[in-house]
Amino acid sequence: MRSLLSLAVLAAASVVSAVSVTGNRLLVVLDDVAEKESYSKLFGSLADRGFDITYDTPRSEDLQLFHLGERTYDHIVFLPTKVKALGPKLTPQILLDFVNAAGNIMVALSATTPASTSTVAFLAELGISLPQERTGLVVDHFNYDTVSASEKHDTLVLHNSKPVRYDMWDVFSLRDDEFLALPHTVGHTLGAGELLTPILRAPSTAYSYNPKEQTEAVDPDDLFAAGQQLALASAFQARNSARVTVLGSAEMLQDKWFDTKVAVEGGSKVSTKNAEFAKTLTGWTFQELGVLRVEEIEHRLKDSNETNPEIYRIKNEVHYQISLSEYRWDAWVPFNANPNDPPQLEVSMLSPFHRLNLAPEEHSATDRTRTYSTDLILPDQHGIFNLRVNYKRPFYTYVDEKCTVSVRHMAHDEWPRSFVISGAWPWISGIGATVSGFVMFCAIWVYSKPAAPLVKKTQ
Amino acid sequence: MAVAQQNALLGPPSQSSRTLLRVVILLFIAGAAIASRLFSVIRFESIIHEFDPWFNFRATKYLVANGFYKFWDWFDDRTWHPLGRVTGGTLYPGLMVTSGVIYHILQALTIPIDIRNICVLLAPAFSGLTAFAAYLLTNEMTTSPSAGLLAAAFMGIAPGYISRSVAGSYDNEAIAIFLLVFTFYLWIKALKLGSMLWGALCALFYGYMVASWGGYAFITCILPLHAFVLICMGRYSRRLYVSYTTWYALGTLASMQIPFVGFLPVKTSEHMPALGIFGFLQLVGFIDYVRSAISGRQFQAFLITVLVATFGIGLAGLVALTSLGYIAPWGGRFYSLWDTGYAKVHIPIIASVSEHQPTAWPAFFFDLNILVWLLPAGIWLLYKELRDEHVFVITYALCGSYFAGVMVRLMLTLTPIVCVAAAIAASKLLDTYLVKSPSQTSTSEAGEKKAPKSADKTASPLGVSSMVSKLTIVGAMIVYLLMFVSHCTWVTSNAYSSPSVVLASRMPDGSQHIIDDYREAYQWLRQNTKEDAKIMSWWDYGYQIGGMADRPTLVDNNTWNNTHIATVGKAMSSREEVSYPIMRQHEVDYVLIVFGGLLGYSGDDINKFLWMVRIAEGIWPEEVKERDFFTARGEYRVDDGATDTMKNSLMYKMSYHNYQSMFPPGKAADRVRGVQLPSEGPVLNTIEEAYTTENWIIRIYKVKDLDNVGRDHFSAAAFDRGQKKKATKKRGPRVLRVD
Amino acid sequence: MRFFKSLLSATLLIAGALAAKKSPTERFSEYHTKALSSSPLKLSETSYKSLTSTPRDYSVVVLLTALENRFGCQLCRDFQPEYDLLGKGWVKGDKKAESRLLFGTLDFVDGRDVFVSLGLQTAPVLLLFQPTEGPHAVASKDPIRYDFTTGPPTAEQVHGWLSRHLTDRPHPPVKRPINWQRWASAITIILGGITLVATASPYILPVIQNRALWATGSMFFVLLFTSGYMFCQIRNVPYVTGNGKGGVSYFAGSFQNQHGLETQVVGGLYGILAITFTVLVTKVPTISNPRYQQVAAVACGGTIFLLQSALLSIFRIKNGGYPFSLPPFM
Repeated sequence: MRSLLSLAVLAAASVVSAVSVTGNRLLVVLDDVAEKESYSKLFGSLADRGFDITYDTPRSEDLQLFHLGERTYDHIVFLPTKVKALGPKLTPQILLDFVNAAGNIMVALSATTPASTSTVAFLAELGISLPQERTGLVVDHFNYDTVSASEKHDTLVLHNSKPVRYDMWDVFSLRDDEFLALPHTVGHTLGAGELLTPILRAPSTAYSYNPKEQTEAVDPDDLFAAGQQLALASAFQARNSARVTVLGSAEMLQDKWFDTKVAVEGGSKVSTKNAEFAKTLTGWTFQELGVLRVEEIEHRLKDSNETNPEIYRIKNEVHYQISLSEYRWDAWVPFNANPNDPPQLEVSMLSPFHRLNLAPEEHSATDRTRTYSTDLILPDQHGIFNLRVNYKRPFYTYVDEKCTVSVRHMAHDEWPRSFVISGAWPWISGIGATVSGFVMFCAIWVYSKPAAPLVKKTQ
Repeated sequence: MAVAQQNALLGPPSQSSRTLLRVVILLFIAGAAIASRLFSVIRFESIIHEFDPWFNFRATKYLVANGFYKFWDWFDDRTWHPLGRVTGGTLYPGLMVTSGVIYHILQALTIPIDIRNICVLLAPAFSGLTAFAAYLLTNEMTTSPSAGLLAAAFMGIAPGYISRSVAGSYDNEAIAIFLLVFTFYLWIKALKLGSMLWGALCALFYGYMVASWGGYAFITCILPLHAFVLICMGRYSRRLYVSYTTWYALGTLASMQIPFVGFLPVKTSEHMPALGIFGFLQLVGFIDYVRSAISGRQFQAFLITVLVATFGIGLAGLVALTSLGYIAPWGGRFYSLWDTGYAKVHIPIIASVSEHQPTAWPAFFFDLNILVWLLPAGIWLLYKELRDEHVFVITYALCGSYFAGVMVRLMLTLTPIVCVAAAIAASKLLDTYLVKSPSQTSTSEAGEKKAPKSADKTASPLGVSSMVSKLTIVGAMIVYLLMFVSHCTWVTSNAYSSPSVVLASRMPDGSQHIIDDYREAYQWLRQNTKEDAKIMSWWDYGYQIGGMADRPTLVDNNTWNNTHIATVGKAMSSREEVSYPIMRQHEVDYVLIVFGGLLGYSGDDINKFLWMVRIAEGIWPEEVKERDFFTARGEYRVDDGATDTMKNSLMYKMSYHNYQSMFPPGKAADRVRGVQLPSEGPVLNTIEEAYTTENWIIRIYKVKDLDNVGRDHFSAAAFDRGQKKKATKKRGPRVLRVD
Repeated sequence: MRFFKSLLSATLLIAGALAAKKSPTERFSEYHTKALSSSPLKLSETSYKSLTSTPRDYSVVVLLTALENRFGCQLCRDFQPEYDLLGKGWVKGDKKAESRLLFGTLDFVDGRDVFVSLGLQTAPVLLLFQPTEGPHAVASKDPIRYDFTTGPPTAEQVHGWLSRHLTDRPHPPVKRPINWQRWASAITIILGGITLVATASPYILPVIQNRALWATGSMFFVLLFTSGYMFCQIRNVPYVTGNGKGGVSYFAGSFQNQHGLETQVVGGLYGILAITFTVLVTKVPTISNPRYQQVAAVACGGTIFLLQSALLSIFRIKNGGYPFSLPPFM
């Protein structure tokens, strides 16, 4: 009985461990708990992946993000709510504290409901701006869904085949013939911060306007943003690798948009890939994807077995290796870096002396990590050096590992002896000649008979 | 005390009892010398004082723990972060090795004394030896038996020497002064006897001196100067030749064994006089030999001309080699002794040290008391006889008094010779006025030296006959000597016995109150920060942080890298936006400053601030400007009228951060500068207060990490204060994101 | 007359406008030819305006000064030769004008309006106009001002300042003309001195070899330095200061400080003490008359006692807490 129970607990634990790296407590904040029914497929998928979901409204009295200074949830999903502000339990400060405590947040917005002021202020701190009056609608007169929005052009149909930059991880990319449908989208713009990465950008023909005020025309000065500057879904990864995603269209996560067929102008009807996109998006946000782990760091003298010594000598030959693994949905797998953009080792004191590519080592199929290594010769400068791997790529958690080692000068007995240096031989023979000459002089002096005293006085 | 026993000297006639008495007196003098240096241990505790001793102490601990070879190759990665310091090659190891040897000897004798107590008590112990060395040196100068004892007594208690050798003042000078005096004694001995053995001994102790203190250059210059003066006086002799060449050849070899000195003796200007006189002596010796072999007035005149010409050509060659760069010119510290305005303009870091300031007369009187006017009297009396060794005393006294006048610190090198000269003068007086009958003179008492009797006819023949004058003069002299003893005791007790790590003050009821903020702060660092937390502070506190808090520092009292110090100066004197990247680059975790405003402690960082500015300006004249820290009317202010540069500097902000909260609104006052402070205190964004000691003397700030969500610290701090980011209407061109 | 004046100003204006119309390269070559013959250029208001007008592809340094005696600008007059030296040296070392830098001087008399338009209250002012176009163009067309805070700068100092601002361009060094007169006079004096010593050696040698003279000299030297002479030299302390009540304060009331007079007083005291002491030791015992001897001994002893007492009382002024004293100056 007991063993059975423990087995069950173990099974449960293994299910739980198969979930995100950070934890499985997920809070969903929505206007009305009953609303969750329209998102049943999304939440069903999350529950299947092992998340322990709590639904709550911002008006709830017993909603607490922190208890005794510890997080009570690991992840939060904000669905559109009709309240103006999210109330004292979810102030921007608390949300920021949540991120600082390594909690992940996904914010889904909708053009039909203005975003709450708390959300706006929170996102503003991350460098994400929402349109004025907290609402805006993205329309595109070229890439709209002819089925549902032939009139208003406010359901965008997009394909997202390429990442924003060519060298980025294409985790959110779709095939060329696959489409996403984004009904009633709020666009946002991103600041210049390096922690932000757009996931989904509006097509160059899209623009954002305020359906309440700018009914007739948009004054160019009042235009919020247009084209590629307008992001529809964005990712933010804080320095502690906590993740925040903003999705402009909450409705695309609803059940009905998971299996609707859409069509672009002149195109045939195809079913959307919203379900897959939602899975990737939540999976990434809640740290089920793209989490890197440093398994082991080792540096040693080239021909020595002592690992990670604290002190080296200048011009020592040093071997450095780091093992990385990556978390994919439910398991740690070897991390394969982009061969054109491998992790690099910096040997730095105030500024880098070396910056070397780390080459992946051969590994077997059963390995759960991948080892990257390099050999280097330490600089001819004593000091306190950092052997640092600073690998920060979009969509991957940050790897910033510093090993501080002291590099000392040559000790007095580590220089080559003088007789090894051929240039010193004249000097050595000079010393020898002087010494033997002195000894001979002494011998002659001692064994010679004193001369007869001089007649002349010297003093 | 020595004076009291002076009378007894006249009593016992036999040689052996006189020797015994002399030994007893010397032991008493050594005891007095040691005892008067123990004020600080008794008042406070057995603790290392001040700044530099903390490093010496740390190095000694390393030596004792790791052995000599490890110490020799020591790379210290806990100072000068991130450069580190090749400590084994950049220090004078004599002091540490001495303590280490004493420690191991005591351990071998199964006397368990910990290394700290050895370090604390090393200086007093060596002061006893210094007194003995002064006795030996003085005995070479005069036949009077009391002069040596008087000199020993003076040397033992003269405040000029005590100032650097109280218990706990574990600095190079602690043993160096003994070595200085003893080397001079050996030199005089070698010169008088013309002995190679004594010359070699002199070289040996010179080598020890080189291993111990940078002040060895004083010996390196005084001995050739003495030799040169003797040659100029026409007193060249074989004795001089033998002693000088022996000393120079062996001494230079010995000095080159110290890694820190290395090849300096053949490469720098400070050492050139010794080398030049060595060569000159060869020439003079050769000519002397030729002259003795061949006679003829013409030939001699020709030789003298050759001599002078060679000397001149040698000098010109030296100048040429220096200007061509083969010989390093005078180092800044040495050069500033001649051109006194040089340091202030070119090397602010040297000028900033209080020890390098010129000496006002009260300091001389304070450190030497009656000896200061006995010195010229002694010189005058030495001129009466003027033997070779007297020339040495005179040369030394002249150079020493000039150097001591230029730099307070060099009072230390003047003190020994003042003691010797004054003792000669005082003993002459006592001898003259103490002897019983007019017919006897002091010379009859001199037994142990067969020095040639001097030719002065003026002093000896008669004597003092009247009992009244004898009593008056001797009585007055005893009063002066007693006053000298009480003066020395008073000075030692009041001025030179404070550890400066601990401050003592008097409460209104007269009881002593100990202000222990330094140790409080260092202890806080030791217990609350991680092992390798880097501390940035002004260099004055580097050694103490390293010694007491055991944390890596950016700069310390070994001011070998001016740029690194200037970097710290720039970080302290710039705006936060400028300082923060500097601190990040140097991986600073904590910033430590000294602030005396609450207590009225004037040695704080705001008062030192202008030096930081000046040193930083020396490297970055465009970014840090001393002028900006002065108001339009040229005042250095910290109150409402302070300049914006001043108010925005990191140092100002750190000093007065939160200070206003100690006072009722608008009443905040700085007790050092004696001014009212503005009611609004400065705001810090990139660093946060970590610790402030009881009396606010030490304030420690923690450097914030980069903001987690990528904001700059100013908007992050503004957000924390509750100021919402304004949804500003965009003016001007849009800022587009480029991906 | 009025007409002429206005005509003159009109022509000047036109000339200025014409000058300004020229392309910067032409302007530069024009002024550079002038500068080759005399640098720094003596500017007038018009030439100043044309020289500094934008756009320019060259740099200009202009010294705005007031040399005439009636303005009483000592700094202007001290700096002028240094500036001329710098300007000459630069143009000489850079004949091909690779640095594209011109030096100009504008006196207040010639360019009153420029001073007014720049709002200058003081002179001299040294302005550096950076190029606004070309490879070294800077964003701001406003000149950079040199800071005359610490007395008249040397040509080298200004050269360093210029070099810092004009990066990647040649910086011809300042060449000071060799002062032949000084060299000649120095050599003459040395040779003369040697001759003098050689001829007068019979008279000088006894003086040099006089032991008493050397003894006195040594004593004087020691007394000088032990009584704070170097402190006064280095710190430039005043001889005496007022005490704020109309009187004179002879002694600075601080342990760390002193006045010039103190060196003399204290040095004198030490000297008399030392001399009296030596008299007591060397001369008094040789007096054969016991009575005289006693009087002399007591007199000397009394003098020492008095002076020591005075010394202690002076020292107590400097160091308030000093507990020891001797009568009568308690």
